[in-house]
Amino acid sequence: MNNNLLKVSLSPHISGKGSVKSIMYGVIIALMPAFIAGLYFFGIGALRVTLTAVVACVLFEYVIQKYLLKVESTISDGSAIITGLLLAYNVPSNLPPNIIILGSLVAIGIAKMSFGGLGNNPFNPALVGRVFLLISFPVDMTSWPKPILTRASAIDAVTAATPLAIVKEGLAGGTPYSKLLTQIPSYWDLFIGNVGGCIGEVSALALIIGLFYMLYKKIITWHIPVSMTGSIFIFTGIMCLINPQSNADPFFHILTGGVLLGAIFMATDMVTSPMTPKGMLIFGSAIGILTVIIRVFGAYPEGVSFSILIMNAFVPLINKFCKPKRFGEIIK
Amino acid sequence: MNQWDNFKKGFLKENPVFVLLLGLCPTLGVTTSALNGLAMGLATAFVLVMSNSVISLIKNLIPSKVRIPSFIVVIASFVTIVDLVMAGYAPALHAKLGLFIPLIVVNCIVLGRAEGFASKNNLLSSLIDGASMGLGFAFALTILGGIRELLGGGAFFGHKFITGDGILIFVLAPGAFIVLGYLIAIVNIINKSKAKAHCSTD
Amino acid sequence: MANKESTFINMVATLFIVTFISSAAVGYVYEATKEPIAQARLEKKTIAIRAVVPDFDNKPIDETYTINSNVGPLSCYPAKQGGQLVGTAIEAITNKGFGGTVKLMVGLLPNGVIKDIAVLEHKETPGLGDKMDKSKSDFSIQFNGKDPSKMKLTVSKDGGDINAITAATISSRAFCDAVQTAYTSYMKEGKQ
Repeated sequence: MNNNLLKVSLSPHISGKGSVKSIMYGVIIALMPAFIAGLYFFGIGALRVTLTAVVACVLFEYVIQKYLLKVESTISDGSAIITGLLLAYNVPSNLPPNIIILGSLVAIGIAKMSFGGLGNNPFNPALVGRVFLLISFPVDMTSWPKPILTRASAIDAVTAATPLAIVKEGLAGGTPYSKLLTQIPSYWDLFIGNVGGCIGEVSALALIIGLFYMLYKKIITWHIPVSMTGSIFIFTGIMCLINPQSNADPFFHILTGGVLLGAIFMATDMVTSPMTPKGMLIFGSAIGILTVIIRVFGAYPEGVSFSILIMNAFVPLINKFCKPKRFGEIIK
Repeated sequence: MNQWDNFKKGFLKENPVFVLLLGLCPTLGVTTSALNGLAMGLATAFVLVMSNSVISLIKNLIPSKVRIPSFIVVIASFVTIVDLVMAGYAPALHAKLGLFIPLIVVNCIVLGRAEGFASKNNLLSSLIDGASMGLGFAFALTILGGIRELLGGGAFFGHKFITGDGILIFVLAPGAFIVLGYLIAIVNIINKSKAKAHCSTD
Repeated sequence: MANKESTFINMVATLFIVTFISSAAVGYVYEATKEPIAQARLEKKTIAIRAVVPDFDNKPIDETYTINSNVGPLSCYPAKQGGQLVGTAIEAITNKGFGGTVKLMVGLLPNGVIKDIAVLEHKETPGLGDKMDKSKSDFSIQFNGKDPSKMKLTVSKDGGDINAITAATISSRAFCDAVQTAYTSYMKEGKQ
């Protein structure tokens, strides 16, 4: 794998030190805090799921490249590891191994290799795997174990609804939001991650540490995370102002579900996001708006995965619309 | 034209679904099981054979400016007949295929073959062309439905191999697209290798 | 052989002949299949009724009457054995399903106890809401033999006595809602 497969922006280019490998391993390091948080809150289950997903993804990539496509293997560039990590972060920690392996096969086989491998996939592989599993195994994918700290005993694998599901059900049943607040965890619990949910999405703190690491290393820019969370905040804020009893407040929306995980690690995936800053802002805000629409008006309590995949499809269009002015062209 | 080649072409070389990509609406819509696919395919095949035969018989009696409306009327009559007969004698199947039976009228394969083949060829060729295309369509829909049923419900022609559900996405709309995509890829590989073999033997 | 010329008379005449023959053919098939189609529809309904009420010897469909409910009139099919009412099948409907309308056939005994419930029509999600169908899970069987006046026909999440289908609360709620509507309307004005 060499540098010229890496799409950074339109010309003019200057050469930098970054390579696919260094960027991918940077992302892996940035993903570690969320992994530690997942281990802390969900225990051995989180380790099992994550290991299974990573090993399966790397293995499938190797097998498909070696025996089906007969090309040079690219597993050492780390992109399959990231896909595995992100897939694991997007599933509950009690998911059976065969389902995880199937998800990995879909992520690598269908979403990545069918389109020609890294750099050619229009959709985020981990999210394709996740959505595939969500639609195929709705029961397994929506029974989340309670975090260890709130379980009665360490092995007691009680399942709990996510805060988002509690609020969605409650609001649909006509319960005012102020009453529901007593049923959902405090903002502090939401922030550190002491809630039921997917392995990697629960801890806002760990994800934000990852964000700062990636910003510091210049792996991503601020545009997508900020525009995505910003548009969610503004949209839900307006709805909350109009009718505070039947809408959750904006902080709740940002801290719950996969918003931060999506905004920091999945929407920013270089292959499947726009190239220019302006395009990134459009991309991020559209994801935010779609997420809120799905959460509030749709059938699912959570809509980050769907929104990112929908906007992935628009990336070529956004890239076309947001071409920077050619060097030397007269600005009208 | 060799009638055997004429008959063979609908299955792989000019398969209406895998190669011509015609009639995708029922292809994606009804193929949740092998039986549904087969029934839909056979219904379409019947309409194709009948309309192709009738149109090749009357092609010289119809002024060219009104040929399309005439063809559509002929096709629509056969579709209505299939619809009524199915509702009367196979109500369970009719309930499942329901909406898609009347849609055979606007299925591109039927009008496409009428306009592109039957209006230029004699009765026998047109009849065989209709059977070839229709059975090719049924073949494609049965395979598609069979794979979706197997993966999505762990069953084949209604015989369940597993308890509970399979991979549900395959009986839903996205599964139809995924399976169709891979089937088209496979058929492309087969057709390409055939074309290569053909070239080298010539 | 050349095509006929596209003159006005030719075109009108051709279209007329083509449509005339086609409509004659369709009309003939329509007449021929009219009887079987009606028979098939009747059969389907009778099977659904038979599935939810005790054995009967009358023709419930011929004795259909309607009762009012908050979702519009519901059809009732009284099942009688030897002239004695043994149960009533009510076509219950709700639009609160996950995928829209859910149609049930609810069989009530004359004292209001639920005999059995069959799903006529639904558009719920495969693998989740479609478990309301008896062939897919035991969800609907828990209603059998229950007296709605002695229990709450809502899911346990809402404080009722019904165990919802896992991960399909909305579909379960819709199901309960339809049964409740059928029961209330029947008790109010359904008994003949």
